[in-house]
Amino acid sequence: MTTRDLDHRDRCAIVGAGRTDYSSRSGRSVLSLATEASLAAIADAGLEPNDVDGIVRCDFDVVAHNDLAHALNLPNLSYWGASGPGGSAPSGMMAQAVGAILSGQATTVLVYRSMNGRSGFRLGKGRLQGQAGAIGGNGSYEEFFVPYGLVSPGQMWAMLAQRHMHTYGTTQEQLGHIAITCRERANANPNAQMATRGLSLDDYLSSPIISTPLRLPDYCLETDGACAVVVTSAARSVDTDKPPVLIRAIAQGAVQGMQPGLASPALMREDPLSLPSVTVAKRLYQRAGMGPEDIDVAQFYDCFTITVLVQLEDYGFCQPGEGGPFAASGAIGKGGSLPINTSGGNLSDGYIHGMSHIVEGVLQMRGESTSQVPDAETCLVTSGLPIITGAMILRKAA
Amino acid sequence: MSELDLRPVPCTDDPDTGGFWEAAARGELAIRVCSDCGQVLHLPKAYCHGCGSWNTAWQVVAPTGTLYSWTTTERELRPGFVPPYTIVCVELDDAPGVRLVGYLDGRPQLESGMPMSATFEVAQGGVVIPQWQPA
Ligand SMILES: [Zn+2]
Repeated sequence: MTTRDLDHRDRCAIVGAGRTDYSSRSGRSVLSLATEASLAAIADAGLEPNDVDGIVRCDFDVVAHNDLAHALNLPNLSYWGASGPGGSAPSGMMAQAVGAILSGQATTVLVYRSMNGRSGFRLGKGRLQGQAGAIGGNGSYEEFFVPYGLVSPGQMWAMLAQRHMHTYGTTQEQLGHIAITCRERANANPNAQMATRGLSLDDYLSSPIISTPLRLPDYCLETDGACAVVVTSAARSVDTDKPPVLIRAIAQGAVQGMQPGLASPALMREDPLSLPSVTVAKRLYQRAGMGPEDIDVAQFYDCFTITVLVQLEDYGFCQPGEGGPFAASGAIGKGGSLPINTSGGNLSDGYIHGMSHIVEGVLQMRGESTSQVPDAETCLVTSGLPIITGAMILRKAA
Repeated sequence: MSELDLRPVPCTDDPDTGGFWEAAARGELAIRVCSDCGQVLHLPKAYCHGCGSWNTAWQVVAPTGTLYSWTTTERELRPGFVPPYTIVCVELDDAPGVRLVGYLDGRPQLESGMPMSATFEVAQGGVVIPQWQPA
């Protein structure tokens, strides 16, 4: 058996994608949101719920696989799995779907993320909000962070941004260009939460500070909503309604100085500015037989603007330390060399913990995006940082 | 009830991390190191990934360091922490690459690389928490 026989390149496809409306108060259960997004993805593929025999979820989702199987009535369920932590999940969830299909454990896998992220549990206030008594222990290591007021991923990313500024001369204006770019894409997307609200550089620079040096538009939009996609084998995908979008390659990875937890422990790594996206980029491009020069459009996980900036470097679109000038150059805008986050992203469309990035990648590869990149044939989609991460390359079927 | 009473205290009796808080109670900073190969194990853990040993010890280090980064938080995220407040991330002089965080009131003037020194704050219930301030 050769290496080629073992790999997953172009052997599975996304055949359906769905989402609910995004809002700050859905007034509905997280299970109802998951059900609606799943039904939309299944219908988009021209399939019936009964065709689904696999489900993969995010470890932070309050909807369990069997909860969703109950809602959809899936008696043929034969595979389920979960990935995480949190926003790093979507690429790992897709990797499990591909693994299940290629190993014969499932034929048609539903991958979803559902959250009342604004009206319900707000991740921006930290995972341990409301927990009484002594904090930490049991391998959580939160005793080194929460008692000091370091409770939220935004504060950790703010410290990385400050260090990036110190080390490389990155500026607030350069971060602002990422927020503005995502807002411009949202302004073209009637479904985005920021569809009708513009953002100029002056607006950005006069917006309130949340945690220095990050301002309100540097932060994603805590959102109520859900997204789902349906994955099947490339062979079966020819029978579905829409043009299949091939999964060219997926990769997950860690980094030297591995740390536990969700976000804050990244500060305890030997070099906190060295992120797992470097490892994942190398592995992903190798598996895809591609390089950054082959990517036509990218959906970068954007919990914060700084998160995008470091990934521009790590995925090879500019040199280490040059993420700021690259972001400000116009390269990431519509008509640039690497248009990014074409639905508006976490920052201006809605924060569905990285699943909306996959949905938008599918739309780009079908030519259906509200900010369609002409002739785009490949899309990079990344998932959350900074402890571990994952990414995938989607490709238009020939 | 004061704001300080609302501040969460650390778990101090975890088998992996408890030695840090025991040292703090004595007014010392300690990091966990492998007794066989000297590998620093931070965040603290019982197994040495460097040599495979389970023999570890708590090594007292100087309560001094340099400022790696900081952020001043202007929004209330959790009761007990009234904005504005500042979180500092300090790299230890005695253990390069090993960092700890601290809390400071308000918006202190700080710069990367400045010298910092540890203080030992007695929090709710008598728990001692190492903190950092400009030296
Ligand atoms: Zn050792």
